[in-house]
Amino acid sequence: MPTIIAAAAVLVLALLPVAAPWLQFVLTLAIAKGFAALGVAVLLRAGLISIGHAMFFAASAYAVAFLARAGVNDLGLLLILSVLGGGLVGAAAGSFLVRYRAIFFAMLNLAVSMVFYALCAKLYGVTGGTDGMPVPVPAVFGIVLGEPAFKSVLFYLSLGLMVLVGLAVQRYLNSPLGHALSAVHTNEIRLEYLGIPVWAVLLIAYVVSAALAGLGGAIAGLAIGRVVPDFAFWTASGHLVLIAVLGGIGGVPGAFIGALFLELLHSAAVTVTDSWNLIVGMTLIIVIMFMPQGVYGLFARKEATSL
Amino acid sequence: MLNAVIPLLLDSLASAALIFFAAVGLTLVFSVLRVLNVAHGSLYSIGGYVAASICLFIASRQFNPYWSFLALLFSAVCVAAIFGPLIERGLIRWTYGKSEAVQILITFGLFLILEDLQRVVFGVQSFYEDAPMRLLGTTSIGGVVYLNYQILLIAMALLVVIGLRLLISHTRLGRLITAVVADREMAQSIGIDTNRIFILAFSLGVFLAALGGALATPTSGIAPGLGADTMVLAFAVAAIGGLGQIEGAALASLIVGLARVLAIYLAPSLDAVAPYAAMLVVLLIRPYGLFGSVTARRI
Amino acid sequence: MASRGISVVVARCLSSLERLFRLDRGLPQGNLRWVADGIAGALALGVVAITPAAAQDKPGGLGLGIFTFTSGPAAAYGMPGKNAADLMIDEINAKGGIGGVPVSATYVDEAQGAQGVIAEYRRLAGDAKNQVMIAALSSANCLALAPLAEQLEVPTVGWNCDTHQLLMDGKSKYVFRPNGNTVPEFIAYAIYLLDRKPDVKTVAIINPDYAFGHDAAKIFTAALKALKPDVEIVAELYPKLGSPNYQTEISRLATARPDVVFSNLWGADLENFVRQAAPRGIFTSSQVILALGETVLQRVALPDGVIVGVLGDGWWMSPDAKAKPETVKFAEAYKARFGEYPVFPSIKMANALIYVKAAYDAAMRKNGGKWPTRAELADAMKGSKVDTLTGTAQTRPDNDGLVDQIVGVTVKTSAQQFPVIGDMVRYKGDSLMPQPGQDPLAWIATLKPEFAKSLPKPGSYK
Repeated sequence: MPTIIAAAAVLVLALLPVAAPWLQFVLTLAIAKGFAALGVAVLLRAGLISIGHAMFFAASAYAVAFLARAGVNDLGLLLILSVLGGGLVGAAAGSFLVRYRAIFFAMLNLAVSMVFYALCAKLYGVTGGTDGMPVPVPAVFGIVLGEPAFKSVLFYLSLGLMVLVGLAVQRYLNSPLGHALSAVHTNEIRLEYLGIPVWAVLLIAYVVSAALAGLGGAIAGLAIGRVVPDFAFWTASGHLVLIAVLGGIGGVPGAFIGALFLELLHSAAVTVTDSWNLIVGMTLIIVIMFMPQGVYGLFARKEATSL
Repeated sequence: MLNAVIPLLLDSLASAALIFFAAVGLTLVFSVLRVLNVAHGSLYSIGGYVAASICLFIASRQFNPYWSFLALLFSAVCVAAIFGPLIERGLIRWTYGKSEAVQILITFGLFLILEDLQRVVFGVQSFYEDAPMRLLGTTSIGGVVYLNYQILLIAMALLVVIGLRLLISHTRLGRLITAVVADREMAQSIGIDTNRIFILAFSLGVFLAALGGALATPTSGIAPGLGADTMVLAFAVAAIGGLGQIEGAALASLIVGLARVLAIYLAPSLDAVAPYAAMLVVLLIRPYGLFGSVTARRI
Repeated sequence: MASRGISVVVARCLSSLERLFRLDRGLPQGNLRWVADGIAGALALGVVAITPAAAQDKPGGLGLGIFTFTSGPAAAYGMPGKNAADLMIDEINAKGGIGGVPVSATYVDEAQGAQGVIAEYRRLAGDAKNQVMIAALSSANCLALAPLAEQLEVPTVGWNCDTHQLLMDGKSKYVFRPNGNTVPEFIAYAIYLLDRKPDVKTVAIINPDYAFGHDAAKIFTAALKALKPDVEIVAELYPKLGSPNYQTEISRLATARPDVVFSNLWGADLENFVRQAAPRGIFTSSQVILALGETVLQRVALPDGVIVGVLGDGWWMSPDAKAKPETVKFAEAYKARFGEYPVFPSIKMANALIYVKAAYDAAMRKNGGKWPTRAELADAMKGSKVDTLTGTAQTRPDNDGLVDQIVGVTVKTSAQQFPVIGDMVRYKGDSLMPQPGQDPLAWIATLKPEFAKSLPKPGSYK
């Protein structure tokens, strides 16, 4: 990957809020969604489409809110603990979900995420119901910051995490575990015959993707300042898959590119028109139909049914 | 609580009837075309909007209100006739042979487009048109006053189940559909025009969805967002019953209706959780649904 | 076609970025296209970044950020608010604006959800032209925006923020609520009910499932139990906000056979509920209290005898309102422009705008005629007492408002085509409020049945 171009892009992103301060919130949210879309993209590599990843996004955001309510007041601690929480939920759900394939995987993910959504929305006493929970501004390494300063810190931290975590995921995808994912998509039985436990490979991928979605959710919760059950609604999961596909599954930057473009387009379009969904839907269909480059692997490989 | 048994059963049936209409089209389309139509809920709400608009028009022009019943049916036919072939030819046909991810994403894009189209065409306010409901009056059953319209809905749902079964088993079209479902390539090679069958099956699915929406409007309001809520409910029911199984969808709607009603009577704070919890439980035990045929591939 | 064009441009930009990162792995494409699309993408980013900056310097105009529901089921309640704002702002501008400065409003649709509402609030607050926010309608958004208002230091007038949770810590500097809160609003219903039906035994509640619904249920229940301890709550239902179908809930209510059905459903939810419940006999088998029932008087045929109120004193046909020529003119102008008379959300919004104007006048008097800063405005709002269209709004030290409460029953009249409110009572604002900082439920628990005896009786407000 041309590192100079990537570095230039990150630099541009870092400097944009200086030119237009209101963009900072939009960009932070875009990076958060990019993380979640990256999680979806990891699973897409194995041919598993998950219409329920918004659940991990929401679970970590709620974890941040609950931890804050319990008194945890450090940004680093909040992020780490909530991502761990998201990963744990992922491990719990994944342990039985990764046994299924294709449409049933998608359906079960949807079912679990909607149960989660319904619980968050109805347990008014615990989760605040549809009103959600507030996320106060935490301290950073013991320094208490004002709200605008904290949001800047959050943005640059997210940018840094994007680079670091992006590189880490890139390494993961290039490792034997990552290649095994693509192999599962091509021919799963052959992989089993080679002695590689498919269930374990997929479970690891699922936990990684849940943790990524959780990181996105934690950042989003801290940036917005409020967590609502709508974070987990099925259309949110659909948008994550949409971002993963729009950006292209060829590599890690794809998810972030997709998220950034979608958020920027949204900010520009919403001042002009109310029919934002129309534009996104048409873009999605156009990309899928006419831009094979953006939809790697979905076209190139259909499951081989025989050895 | 004993005096609540009859109302409980009646409410479950009434709930189930509405949910069934939402789900049966989805499961039918999946069985023939092997496509999960994420935009199905939007077609349900479009049917509702069209029906409400026509009924409001009838009311504003002071026509005989009994025309509203016809209007409900008529709006479903219109929606099916326009959207069915258009969507199948334009979008769904392109996805045959591609992976499920592509199908789901294409129909998700369609869902987004249709949701905004509804806002643009019908506006963002709520609609309510209850002439059909008021015309039929009420009956008192078990001490609770019920709308006769609700009983009509239950009857119509039964009609649809029986009608579909008769269609599939005893008409030529039904046999053709069964053939295409069983083996698409074979059906094509013996001369069945699969393209026509696909358009017909998809349009039938759209008709059922739009009919569901139209029949639902007299007893509930219609507002933006109905499509998204209905979609996931329809999906849950179709999955529980087994994708492609019409009787499965009927049984699943009963289960979901009963679960929801039980929750409202016994644990009101869990009424929204019930359908999805039921879906989760059933899918964990039988991933192909209650009436689904093949066992899950577990590795 | 524009959206198609936009999407094609986006698609092409995406494809060239793919090539940038070598995601297409060797599929050849023309270099010229690469350059052109890269430039197009950069231009798009630049346009997006620059546009708001260009809109920033606009002297000679006062911007108000007004948050309400303009779409979805809640719009049935939110649009009257927007209409009233439009009318009121036109009237203010016709008289020369505020301090000679014309007023304009940016409306934010709360239906986009908390995330969008918060983003819009930030965006509007970032523009110095917008000095005051009038937000919000939904208690969920009120609770979400309140900390933001304090952090960004923008005076925010809660035109419909009834929830008592909003100002509970008493430390607000920038959030004001001139229109009263849920505590007096729902205690009023309990007192009125017991005055009208002293032998009430069983009560069922059906409220929307969010803060407003739960708060109201707790307050109403606590007040009833304090004033008549043997009352029993036989059913409590909390359907999701925006539910279109209440048939099962209505059956549940019917099987419970309560003496009283209490509901603070609102917007299209209330309209749906009434339309579905009326044919099924709920209004004849129980005494129904519709806390926000006045909003649907002109839209659904409510039977006689339903207890309704206006969550405050904003009833355009109240004796006080009819005695103010300004209010009568406003109501007639509203009817002429929008086809129906202003319901209480409209009056609340109009009163909120009057409150803001009064704050500007007071601030400018204090600082010698200069245009006030946001902080000076907030100062002027503290402790203010403003004459509104229908009464007075007194702001307490904790920024909570004291307004009178009007409650009555529906009654048909030959003067109008819709039922009006009769047998009215007007409770004074401070008689039903706990002290600042006091926990409302704890205060209610200390009330005794004698408390109600000292208050005005139904029918006393003529």
